[in-house]
Amino acid sequence: MNLFKTRKKMYLGFLLLGLIGIVGCAANDINDRPLAGDRSDGADETDSQDPLMITTTIGMIADVVANIGQEHVEVEALMGPGVDPHYYIATQGDIRKLEEADIVFYNGLYLEEGMEDILEQLGEQQPVIAVTQHIDKNVLLMDEEDLDEFDPHVWFNVKHWITVAETILESLIEHDEINADAYSANAESYISELAALHEEIIEQIASIPREQRFLVTAHDAFGYFGEAYDIEVIGLQGLNTASEYGAKDVTDLRDFLIENEISTVFLESSVPPRGIEAVIEGARSLGHEIEIGGELFSDAMGEVGTEEGTYIGMIRYNVETIVAALQQ
Amino acid sequence: MKNPLKVKNLSVAYEKQEVLKNVTFEIPEGKLIGIIGPNGAGKSTLIKSILGIVPSLTGEVEIYGKPYKEQRKLIGYVPQRESVDWDFPTDVLDVVTMGRYGHLGWFKFPRHQEKKIALDCLKQVGMENFSDRQISQLSGGQQQRVFLARALAQDAQLYFMDEPFAGVDAMTEKTIISLLKHLKDQGKTVLVVHHDLNTVKEYFDWIILLNEEIIMIGETEKVFTKEYLQKTYGGKLMVFDSN
Amino acid sequence: MWSQLILDPNLRWILIGSMFLGLSSGIIGCFAYLRKQSLLGDAVAHSTLPGVALAFMFTGSRAIFGLLIGALCTSLLATFLISYITRQTRLKQDATLGVVLSIFFSIGMLLLTIIQQSSVGNQSGLDRFLFGQSASMIHSDVNTIMMISFILIITCTLFFKEFKLLCFDPEFAKELGFPVVLLDQLIMFLIVVAVVIGIQIVGVVLIVALLITPAVAARYWTDKLHIMLVISAIFGMISGATGTLISSNISNLPTGPVVVLIAVCLFVFSLLFAPKQGLIFKALSRRKVKEKNNNGLDHVARVEVKR
Repeated sequence: MNLFKTRKKMYLGFLLLGLIGIVGCAANDINDRPLAGDRSDGADETDSQDPLMITTTIGMIADVVANIGQEHVEVEALMGPGVDPHYYIATQGDIRKLEEADIVFYNGLYLEEGMEDILEQLGEQQPVIAVTQHIDKNVLLMDEEDLDEFDPHVWFNVKHWITVAETILESLIEHDEINADAYSANAESYISELAALHEEIIEQIASIPREQRFLVTAHDAFGYFGEAYDIEVIGLQGLNTASEYGAKDVTDLRDFLIENEISTVFLESSVPPRGIEAVIEGARSLGHEIEIGGELFSDAMGEVGTEEGTYIGMIRYNVETIVAALQQ
Repeated sequence: MKNPLKVKNLSVAYEKQEVLKNVTFEIPEGKLIGIIGPNGAGKSTLIKSILGIVPSLTGEVEIYGKPYKEQRKLIGYVPQRESVDWDFPTDVLDVVTMGRYGHLGWFKFPRHQEKKIALDCLKQVGMENFSDRQISQLSGGQQQRVFLARALAQDAQLYFMDEPFAGVDAMTEKTIISLLKHLKDQGKTVLVVHHDLNTVKEYFDWIILLNEEIIMIGETEKVFTKEYLQKTYGGKLMVFDSN
Repeated sequence: MWSQLILDPNLRWILIGSMFLGLSSGIIGCFAYLRKQSLLGDAVAHSTLPGVALAFMFTGSRAIFGLLIGALCTSLLATFLISYITRQTRLKQDATLGVVLSIFFSIGMLLLTIIQQSSVGNQSGLDRFLFGQSASMIHSDVNTIMMISFILIITCTLFFKEFKLLCFDPEFAKELGFPVVLLDQLIMFLIVVAVVIGIQIVGVVLIVALLITPAVAARYWTDKLHIMLVISAIFGMISGATGTLISSNISNLPTGPVVVLIAVCLFVFSLLFAPKQGLIFKALSRRKVKEKNNNGLDHVARVEVKR
C-alpha cells in the first residue's frame, strides 16, 4: 500500500518534469528560427571576410541595416512581427544574440522599456547604438501626458528614418572600413527610395478629403505620421501600451468619434483589439456605426518574407490601407 | 435478532503506521458500552473507521446484520468537540437541525417539522433556551450538549460518542449520563470512547479494552479488572485496590 | 452621475459586469473563507495562466471564450492536484498551494515567453490577464458573466445546507453519508469559475482580494451564514458598482484596483463600526463595563474606610 503511494508520487514528479522539459525544448526550437531581416546568403566560401553580426531590437531597424549592409552583414531582430516592444523582456537566448553581435542597434527614446538595463550593461562591453540619437531633439514630439518623455515612434516620419539610416551607415563604416564604399553606395540608393516614399505619402494623404482625415488607432503610435503628413491622429491608449486605459478613455474616444462623425477606425497588429472593439460597440449602441478600416502595423512589421515584412513595404501598406478606408 | 454492531478484522493504518490491528468484536443491544484505553490506542480511530470517516485497510462492519452504508439512518454520532471550528456563523438550533440532514436527503431545506424535532432534542439536554445563541458563545459543556442534541435528532438505534465527557462541568456530566441511561431504557445501544477510569464502573454495562487491538471485551464486572487494565495500559497505570 | 452610468452603453456594461462579478465573488468567497481556503483562490488565479497560453497556442485566436476554457481547464487541474497532494502526502494545504501555484504560474510565464517570441501576430494582451481590463467590456462579455453568476447562485442555493454542513463539520457530513470529496470538488469548481470570470476584470493578481474581502467584511455584521452570504454578495456588488463609477470619471484609471480598494474600505468600515463585533463598539462596551466596576469599587472602598 505504501509502495503504491510512493510510486504514484514518482509518476507525478516525472510527469511534471516531463512537462517542463517539453516546454523548454519548444522554447529552444523557436529561438533558433531565423527572424525578420536576415539577409545572409548562406555559406559563402568565396567571402574573404566574415560578415558583421548585427542584432537589433525592432524589425524596422533590422530592415535598414539589411538594406545598407547587404551581403556584408548578418542581421537579426529580436522582436518579430506582432511583438509589442514597449512590453518586451529579453530572454536568455536574446541576451546571447546581443552579446554575440558585433554591433547592437536599438531605437532608444524609451521604446524598449523592458530592455533598458540590459542595453546599458552591454553598452559597457560592446557597441550598442541608439539609432535615433542624431535626430534633432527639437523636432521630436513629446508625450502629451508625461512631458519629460519623448514619443519614440519616429519611424512613422520617413524623413526621420532617413536620419536613422545615416546613423546606421556611420556605425557600419566605423566598424568595417573595408566595405565602406559598398555601404555608402547601398545607403545612397536606399535613402533615395525613402525620400521618394516620403513624397509619395504626402501626395496620398492629401488625396483624402479634409473632413475625413482622422486616423483613429489603439494607441498613440502615429504622432509623427500625423505631423509629417498632415492627418489628425487619435489613439485610445497613450504612447505606451503598458499604461492602462480606463472606462473614461473608452467613452471619451467613443463620444469624440460620434461628435466628429468619424466612421472609420484602425486596429494595430501588435495591440489587442479589445479596446477599439468596446468603442465600436458602444458607438453602435448609440446609433453610430463605425467600421474597421483595416489593421495597421504600428510597433512591428509584417510576416517575414512578405512585402509588409520590410520597412518600406510596411509603411506603404499602412498608407494604402488608410487612404482606401478614409476616401470613402 | 441481529446485534447492532459486528466488526471483523478491522485494520487501519495512518502514514505507514498500523494503528488498529485485526479488530474483531460484536456488541449486544441495549447496553451502554465504554471504549477504554491509553492515549493513542486508536479509540477515536476505531469509531471513525467503523463509520467510514477514516479509510481502513481491511475489515467488515455490519450494523444490524447489514453493511454500514445501508444502515446510516440507524446511527447517531457525537464527534469530539475540537473537530469543529466554533466560530462558524451559526446558532445552536441550526447545528442541532443538522442532525436531520441525513433524513432530509439532498437539496431539501429543513422546515418547521425538522426545527421542532431539533427543539425537542434541545429540551432533552436542557438547552431549549439557547436555541438562537451563537455557538461561539457557548461553554465547553454547552457545546457538548449541543452535539449530543444533534445526535439525538438523528433518531438512531445505535450511537457512537467520542469522548463526550471530556472537559465538561459536573452538571453537564450528570445531564449526559442521565440522557444515556434514558436511551438505554428505550432499548438503544450507545458506544462511548471514555477516558476517565474512575467513572467506568458506574456508567457502563460493557467495556471494550483497546490498545491497537482488542485486549478484552465483555461485561464491566468481568473485564474491568486489575489484570486486564495492566495489560491494556502496559504498566503505565497505578491501580489502587478500593472496590 | 448614476443616471450617466445606466444610460451610457459602455459604462452600463462595465457596471453590470462588475456588479455581477462582485456578487459571485462575494457568495463563493464566503465558503472559501470559512473553509480556510482563502489562498486557494490565489492559487487558482495563478494557475489559469498556462491554460490561457495553451488555449491561445491551440486556437491561434484571442477569443475570450476559448481562453476561458483554457483557464478553466488548468485551474481545475490545479485544484485536483492540490486536493490529491493534501490528502495523500504529509504536505499541509498551505505548502501544497504554494508549490502548485508556483509550478503552474512558472509554466504559464514560460509559455507566454514562447508565444511572445513566435512570429504569430496579435498575441500581446494575454498578459492583460495578469491585471484585468474591465474598461473594454462589451455586451457579450456581460451576458457570459451574468449567465455564469446565475448558475453559481442557483448552485449555492440548491446545495446550501450541504455546503454549510461540509464547511462546519465535514466528519459529521461523511457520517451522514454525504459524498464529502465530491462536494469539496464542487465548491472548488465554483471558486474556479468565480475566479476565472473575475480575472477578466480585476486580473490574476487582485482576484483573491475580491474573493475574500467582502466575505470577511460581512462576517462582522452577522452570525448567521445565510445572512453572511447576502451581505457579502451586496458588498461585492457595491465594490463593483462604485469602482466602476469612480474609474469612469477619471482618465487612465483602471477599474480593477479601484474595485478592490472599495472592497477594502467596506472591510475597514465593518471592522470599526459593525455592531457587536466592530472595534468601536467593543471599546465602548468595555468602557461601560469598566465604569460599572469602578462605581462598585468606589462603594466598597468607602465601606472599608468607614470601618
